[in-house]
Amino acid sequence: MSGVRLELCSDSPETTRRIAAALADVLVAGDVVALSGELGAGKTCFVQGAASGLGVADAVTSPTFVLVRTYAGRVTLVHADVYRLHTLQDVHDLGDEVLAPDAVTMLEWGDAVAALLPDDRLEVEILHDPDDEDARRLHLQAYGTSWTARATALEEATAAWR
Amino acid sequence: MLVLGLETSTSRSSVALVDADRVVASASLGIPRRHGEFIAPAIRFCLEQAQIDVERIGGVAVGVGPGLYTGLRVGIATAQTFAAGLHLPVVGLSGLDVLAFQVRSTSRPICAAIDARRGEVFWAFYRSSPGGVQREGELMIGRAEQLAAEIQSYGEDVLVVGDGALTHREVLAETDAILGGTANGWPEAAGLAELALPRFVREETIRPDQLRPIYLRQADARIGWEVRGRLRGGVGAAGADGADGADEASTS
Repeated sequence: MSGVRLELCSDSPETTRRIAAALADVLVAGDVVALSGELGAGKTCFVQGAASGLGVADAVTSPTFVLVRTYAGRVTLVHADVYRLHTLQDVHDLGDEVLAPDAVTMLEWGDAVAALLPDDRLEVEILHDPDDEDARRLHLQAYGTSWTARATALEEATAAWR
Repeated sequence: MLVLGLETSTSRSSVALVDADRVVASASLGIPRRHGEFIAPAIRFCLEQAQIDVERIGGVAVGVGPGLYTGLRVGIATAQTFAAGLHLPVVGLSGLDVLAFQVRSTSRPICAAIDARRGEVFWAFYRSSPGGVQREGELMIGRAEQLAAEIQSYGEDVLVVGDGALTHREVLAETDAILGGTANGWPEAAGLAELALPRFVREETIRPDQLRPIYLRQADARIGWEVRGRLRGGVGAAGADGADGADEASTS
């Protein structure tokens, strides 16, 4: 599948947050961001940054045990984790706010439930840098016409970390 | 005969009290995903404003989808609790039937379309008949483009109602269909109760425990964790098994 692909470098969790906050400026209601990466890669860290970029005042914590959290911001942010789920039906059972058209949904391990995701989506894979314990490589892959239209904005927002 | 209608299968939530002569009371909310918070206070509001004792309700009609999962469950669980507590009969109707019923005065073929998200739509075709509408064919789910093709091949100018027509306005506007607006955007509890009322009179009812949601989507497929073992625990399938064990222990 074609789309917009970006590779970014982060040297710390704080930088990952800053990258996500910058990227949040490009997000609009209905967006779906699928996050993947090993445990401890910094998926929740990324969501925390995006939340601050969306103007969320509440502290963002991992949804691994609560499964889904909703935050009020410039756009409502829905943060869900499908790690502990077994079937696609379980994802629906998280609640109707997940993948809602009037919210931004950030789905940890979202690529595992790709069948449920819309054609328009942003996939973020966070990889450990083998040479530096704190550093990460962020692979961004945007799909669909909505993201094609925002490709330049996405590139400009994240240009500092290319 | 007084019927309580509950319709929460779309982004809209509504409650109504209907008898043979009129909609006695109704309340509805257009804010998405507030079904759970809205429904019980809305029932109380309708009863209080109409000054009707809860014991006078003779049956409960509820929307059974297809639609939003959590909304559907809120409606069905509320209908079951209410009807079981008061020993009332129940009628479950599709929101698509209700959407079509709400525009039954048209002479055109009707297509009821509910937004199923992810570019998909739930739909069914209807024709007006004496006293209501008659469904032609099955309840369907598919891409908006597929619905557009079906509408185009219908051979007559179809009236499309429901939030599916609002969400996919651009795709459907390329057909000869007449698209309904926000006034016909959602199934309402008043229309639902009105459509259900003759069934209560004819005793075509079910028990609360027999209510079943209509999902249409086959979502029982398992998440492919086995192929994600590397990422999930970093150690392949064994890591995934360990995570499952912890899951069961903490949720039991």
